Amino acid sequence: MIRILSPADRREATKRLMESSNQNVMICLQCGKCTAGCPFSEEMDLDPHQMVRMAQLGLLEELMNSEAIWFCATCFTCESRCPVSIDIAAIAEAVRLIVQLGEGDHFGPDDVPKDVSANAPQQALVSLYRKFGS
Amino acid sequence: MKVGYYPGCTLKGKALALDETTQLAVELLGEELREIPDWTCCGATTPLTETKIANLIAQTRLLIKTRDAGYEALVTTCPFCFSTLRRANLSIREDELKRKRINTYLAEDLRQRDYETPPPPYRQYTGDIGVLHLLEWFRDTVGFDRIKRTCINPLKGMKVVPFYGCQLLRPAEELAMCDPENPTILEEFLEATGADVLDFPPRIDCCGSYLSVAKPEAAMRASYKILDAAKRIGADAIVVTCPLCFFNLDDLQPEMMKHYPEFRPIPVLYFTQLLALAMNAPVDKLGLESHKIDPRPLVEKYSVNISREVPA
Repeated sequence: MIRILSPADRREATKRLMESSNQNVMICLQCGKCTAGCPFSEEMDLDPHQMVRMAQLGLLEELMNSEAIWFCATCFTCESRCPVSIDIAAIAEAVRLIVQLGEGDHFGPDDVPKDVSANAPQQALVSLYRKFGS
Repeated sequence: MKVGYYPGCTLKGKALALDETTQLAVELLGEELREIPDWTCCGATTPLTETKIANLIAQTRLLIKTRDAGYEALVTTCPFCFSTLRRANLSIREDELKRKRINTYLAEDLRQRDYETPPPPYRQYTGDIGVLHLLEWFRDTVGFDRIKRTCINPLKGMKVVPFYGCQLLRPAEELAMCDPENPTILEEFLEATGADVLDFPPRIDCCGSYLSVAKPEAAMRASYKILDAAKRIGADAIVVTCPLCFFNLDDLQPEMMKHYPEFRPIPVLYFTQLLALAMNAPVDKLGLESHKIDPRPLVEKYSVNISREVPA
């Protein structure tokens, strides 16, 4: 059940995302290069450029409810390809932060299967808990 | 410039082969790299939101330790460590709020093990310690020419593809390591070892990173595309710098063979393992037993015992 936000609320949401991520989403021209370069855009329910568009429109709830923000590997291909240098990974992280402030760990130590945590390199677990944990 | 070595937690844990071959290669080059005393985890990732200043503390703590141990820079092999330390430095230099908050916190940090002796006064950290990746150190301090001369067992005929991964290259304005779309440093390094370096477009792609733990099927697809391309190009091995790339590309191959029946395995090697091999290090010193896909049949073909003096 998505709440319909008022235009004022949506402007506030855009401002919040822009301040948190330190990215100017308003200069995005929707060229799609970020989506074209993203290794996980096929798995995402919202493409990277769609996430930016929704940030422009302040559709925070849709962003928070998306699966896409949890498919970001922070590889920065999006940021590298963007002609106006927007860091889309930062925007995804700003949305994740708002979700985590409400929910806590999205993916924490308890979510890792024992055989994986025994074998995975330390950097994978540390970076995962920092990105997807609270 | 006094440079300390920072292995990071993964190199002392799951990627021991990378640490040991780094140290072996440095020794065979006649150089010395000492570990920074009492080093701590770098935190692996950089916070991308303005309020998560706490996630820069681990990086700064380590940089302060490096400075207080008398080094002007640190060199690291792990791209995650490299990326986050380089970026943390920039944050400290450019953002006054972050610099103040982190220094205020770390001034209270426990800085000595001996509770009797009062610690020396805290010196503000302003981002002046250099952060180098081993490839940069090889290129700028040692020089690829000297590396080539030390490779008395040039790996001529071994067809390799370089795999950079993401953390070494991007974001390019902050890392200033090489061109993010057309990097050359790893190819130049591999050419110095004598190996045949094949052109490999997926070399700057992402292996899936930590999603191999959180979203294993998606990450496996990303890694499979890279390995499949390497096989089609006719590579004997794929060379990586990153322990997570190594894990995603090597460790998950048996699983990949179940999901993609026509997939045939290809060995993954760390760049320092290849270097040590080219320097005629014995095969049993390369840490190859820890690989899931056994590279020994390939490596043993290129390992010869040459008895002649290493040129200075």
